[in-house]
Order: sequence, then structure tokens, then C-alpha cells
Amino acid sequence: MTAATTTPTVEEWVRSFTDATDRDPEIQAHGKYFTCGYLLDMADHHFVVRMTSGKVAELAIDPGPLDVGYQFAIRAGAETWRGFGTEVPAPMFHGIWAATFRRDMKLEGDVLVLMQNLRCITRQIELLRTVGVPV
Amino acid sequence: MPRISPVTGHYVTVDVDDVQYKVFYLENGTGQPLLCQHTAGCHNHQWRGLLEDEEITADHRVIAYDLPRHGKSDPPENTEWWKEEYRLTAEHYTKFIVALCDELELEQPIFMGSSFGGNVALQLALRYPDRFRAVIPVEAADYSPGFYLDWWQHPHANAAQVCASGVWDLMAPQSPEADRWKTWFYYSQGSEAFKGDLYFYSVDHDLRDKLDQIDGDRCPVVMLTGTYDYLTTPEDGRRTAGQIKNGEFIEMEDIGHFPMSENHEVFRRYLLQALDRIGSRAGAQA
Repeated sequence: MTAATTTPTVEEWVRSFTDATDRDPEIQAHGKYFTCGYLLDMADHHFVVRMTSGKVAELAIDPGPLDVGYQFAIRAGAETWRGFGTEVPAPMFHGIWAATFRRDMKLEGDVLVLMQNLRCITRQIELLRTVGVPV
Repeated sequence: MPRISPVTGHYVTVDVDDVQYKVFYLENGTGQPLLCQHTAGCHNHQWRGLLEDEEITADHRVIAYDLPRHGKSDPPENTEWWKEEYRLTAEHYTKFIVALCDELELEQPIFMGSSFGGNVALQLALRYPDRFRAVIPVEAADYSPGFYLDWWQHPHANAAQVCASGVWDLMAPQSPEADRWKTWFYYSQGSEAFKGDLYFYSVDHDLRDKLDQIDGDRCPVVMLTGTYDYLTTPEDGRRTAGQIKNGEFIEMEDIGHFPMSENHEVFRRYLLQALDRIGSRAGAQA
């Protein structure tokens, strides 16, 4: 995979993020119990990612307030997400802990579920370095 | 020929505050002692690159120990430690390091530590300035709140993975992937001690109103901080060094909170600068 150079459309991004997740050797090696649903709030768009055993079971685009359930949310402004979506992120755009401590990222909801899946979530967010972000 | 490393390991018995520890340490080299403290929840193998760095071991005796409860150093030998919650304090931590120096008969060692090892380096410069030739606090600050978290030991999560992946993005994306994964692996081994170490790191260690009492002429302080450290940022290091009499600060580009294990090749360049500055200071005073 190569680094994203242009902003992908929402549909392109959903396809490439799903594909990158489902083909990622690390997630597939360690994601047997990676089953949860979470919200990615990217300001311009939001997504609910539903994972089942390390595979993307469903990725909802801009669902309505009560359309799709999820267990935790990762929220940040578009600028922070754009920082994540570069091949070599600048300091403080390089992980959800860094961005939560030093930027505008918020981890909300049932954070225990996030912690239970921390290794795979960390890796899945790093995939944004190659697939980019749709904002 | 068998490919045997020149690094050797030993145990030494150390008594501090009526507590006895059997402490494991690795060493290599001769000359000026350079005593190295690992980060919270980890062990001395973080210094593997430095221990085999021929340029530095040519004139430094590099000693990297496992703090009690870490690596191959057990918890106390003579107390029922399992009946108390482990919470490391500045008082005990500094006394332990001085007792270890006494036991190893180290004369005027340079003390270097990263993260909670960097914070204790500042504490040593304040409390025992005449016992050390200099200190090199790495990824340190006067105060570093925010990491004394229950998540490190939460029984409903995989503590080993939370500790390891929780510190993952303290490292720089530029650091070699294999070295970042080794650092991750070390953290998967230390979950029981990590939180108690962080009591010192994020709670008990607070030098915000004491930095002016550190005399950087008596005990030179050269701080090193990586640009990808979100816990103790370069701004924190610069601010801290700026309030210490003749304190010095070096910002390290494209590296994070575990420089010695995540990218020794980058770290060593900055460490050599720090050692040069310490040598120059000693030369100027002679």
C-alpha cells in the first residue's frame, strides 16, 4: 500500500479501510476476539465500525443518532484526523493516546471495551497512515 | 567461535530501609561508571544497545540494573510484600539507588534514567548532589501527571496488552519497527509493577517548587527529551532544565519516550553530546 496523497471520497475510504483491516497480517494474527462496535467521529463525517473476530462486519456512514449502536467513541476534529492520515504523522498526531493527551481527541463511552481491544484498535487506527481519512 | 556478548550479569544484595533486595544487573566496559535505570514497568534489557556500544564502553563502565520487582530482580526478600499495594516513592527510590552505588562501590557514577528513571535522576540531583558526577534525565520533567491509571491492572482487560499497547504511541513512527516491537514486548512482561512505579512518576514526584534547589554546578544536569514524547514533551524538559542552575537541555528529533530501546542509533548521537557536555564541565572545573 502507498500513502494517501489526496482525500478519498467517503465511499472509497470505507472500501479501503475495510480492505486494509481485513487483510492486515497483525490484526488477523491477533484479532480472534476483536469483536466490538465503535464510533469514529471525524467532525465532517462519522462512522460506526462494527468488528467481528477481526473483520469489518459493517461500516455505517453518517448514521442517524439512533440508527446504529456502538460501545465507545473516538472523537476529534478534522485537522487531528488529517494528521493521523499521513504516512509519517507529526508528533501528537501519531496515536490515540498522544492525541488525547495533547490534542482535541476524546475517548468516550465504555472505555473498558476499548482497553480490552487496545492492541487491535491501535493497529487499525494506524492503517489511516496508508488509507488516509475522508475529511 | 560462539557469538558470546561481552555483557555480563550478576546479582548483588542491597539493604535499604530495613528491606533486603537481590538486585540483578548487566554490565560492560571500563572507566567512568554510567549507571542506567530502565523505565516504569520495564527492565534493564532496554539498554541492550548501550551495553554493547563499543564507543561508549571503551571509557565507561555501563551498568544497567533491574529495579526490585522488575526483570530478574525479585520483590523484597524479607517482607510480606504481597500484603501491601506496591507504590514507589521518591524517598525509597533514591535511597535504593544510593545503597546500590554503595554496594557496588561506585565512585562518582553518572546516573542516567528514562521516564520514571529520568524523574528520579532529578530527585538524586536534589537529594544527593555530591554522590554523582552528573545526572542525565531522559524524558523527564519536574512533574508528570496523568499516568497513574487503574487501566494498567484492570482485571477485566488483558493487563499485559494494555500496558504494552498503552505505551505504544509514546514511540516515534520513525523508530525501527523491530525495536518498537521489542519495547512493546518488554512492557507486556511488567504489568504488576507498572502502576506502582507510576505512583512515583505521576503522583509522588513533584519538583515544581524545588527546581531552584538543584545546583547544576555541584551535580551537572543534562536533560534529553524526544519530540514524540506526549507525556513529558520537549517543552516540559526545556522548562525543567531552565529552572535548574546551569541545567542543560537537548531536544532529540524523531524519537520518543523509550529512546534507548526504540532507536539506540539515534539516541546514542544525543547521548554522546550529553557526555561531551559533562566532560567539558568537569574539564572547566579542573
